[in-house]
Parts: sequence; C-alpha cells; structure tokens
Amino acid sequence: MEIIERLSAGDPEKKKYYIRLFLDTMEPELVNLRGADITAHQEPIRAILHKLKSQVQTIGAKDAHALMAEQEQCIKEGGRIEQEELERTCQALSDLIENLQELLK
Amino acid sequence: MSMHLKVALVDDDIPNTEVLRDFLIRNGYSHVDKYHDGESFLESLDRFDERAVVLDFDLSGGGDLNGLEVLEAIKERSPSTHVIFFSGQDSLEVAVESLKNGADDYIVKSNASFALVKTSLDKVYDLQVLRTSEKRSQRVSLILAIGWVTTLAVVAYFLAGS
Repeated sequence: MEIIERLSAGDPEKKKYYIRLFLDTMEPELVNLRGADITAHQEPIRAILHKLKSQVQTIGAKDAHALMAEQEQCIKEGGRIEQEELERTCQALSDLIENLQELLK
Repeated sequence: MSMHLKVALVDDDIPNTEVLRDFLIRNGYSHVDKYHDGESFLESLDRFDERAVVLDFDLSGGGDLNGLEVLEAIKERSPSTHVIFFSGQDSLEVAVESLKNGADDYIVKSNASFALVKTSLDKVYDLQVLRTSEKRSQRVSLILAIGWVTTLAVVAYFLAGS
C-alpha cells in the first residue's frame, strides 16, 4: 500500500479511489478463478493469475503475490495446478479483497 | 521539475496503469497518455511521434497484439520513438527479444518498478535534451559558416571592383 499511501498523500478520497480501482478488477477475477475448470486447459487460469499478480504486488500483499507467481510459472512451464492450490490462491485473494473493502468504510 | 517529455503507457492492467500515470505526473511528467491495448496506441502513433512508450508484454486482456508485436510496429512506423518494456514476465527470452528489436530498456514489474520506470524515462529525457542541444549547436555553426562565406564573398566582390 506504500505507493498508494504516497500518491494519495493523506487524501482519504484519493486513497479510496485507488482502492476501488483495484477492487473493480480483483472482485470479478476472483469469481472467474472460483469458476475456473481446473481439469481443462489451464491457460485462462494462468492469464488471470498473471493479471492479478502485478496488482497484489502494488497493494503490497507479498504472500498472495508469491503464490500467484509460483502458480503462473508452473502453468507457463507446462505443469498443472491442483484444486487445493487454486483454492489457496482464491482464499488469499478473498482475504485481500475483504481488507480493501474494510478500508473503504 | 517539469519534464517536457511526453509519455504513453500501453498496458491492459487498468489500476496499475492509473497508479503509474499518477506517479509519473507527481514526479514531473506532465503529459502521460494511457492505452489498454496495442491497437489503439498504434492508431495514435504518427511518424514523428516524440512520446516515450512504456510498453507491457502481455496485453491479452486488451487486444490481440502482444508487446513485441507492438514494438515491431512502432519501430517500423516511427524508428526514433523510445520504448521501455515494462513486463510482468521475468523472461530472459522476452527481454533479449525486446532489446534486439529496439527497446531502450526492459523492466520487470516489482515493488520498485515504478521508480525504475521513472529513472529510465529520465535517461530518455536527458538523451532528448542532448540531441536538441546538439542540433541547436549544429544550426548555430551552420549560420556562422554562412555568415563568414557571405562576408568573404562581399569583401572579394569589392576588392575585385576596386
């Protein structure tokens, strides 16, 4: 959140604006990840993870970033991720979204 | 300090592009355009485009072209345009390919990457300033040379007449 704190420079409305921007992408992508067919071709999952990876990094969620980066790399190298692994990512993302939503209150 | 370098951000990541744009504006880059796919950026590109381009590799959330294809099109249409690759792909292959195709820099997205983009743009800006002053001094030298030749011609004319 450091970059967002710095850019909003104490302006709570500006900070909320940035948080909403991230939530607008993260919320629908969480739905997409939860609905993804793990048994099918996993490229769509990789694309979502790639997109979210940079965003969670900007927010400063290091663990979620590491998880997404690892799973994206696995699929990119031709491997597959398991249902439990995807669920861990969804949970991390869901927690992050919840924290961001708290900041909007 | 205000930088007179125009910047175009080409990235399908909407929130990060918005944050990067505000970061650059706050750090002196007053003119920053953003595009979320390669196609719309290329439509806006003209032959003597003076903007520096910060270009993502994976643009799949926006259009059909990837960053390398956009880079190739930029260099075909406007070879002097500076391109900084800004990618979530920590891939040596993509980095080498982009630099081989004329990118000025390759930055992997990370915690510190906004600052790295700014540093890279600062270098492009310094280069532009240097080129402008070189062109100016070449122009001054040319004007002085023409002045001398004209003076010599006039003197020669009068000497020949006297």
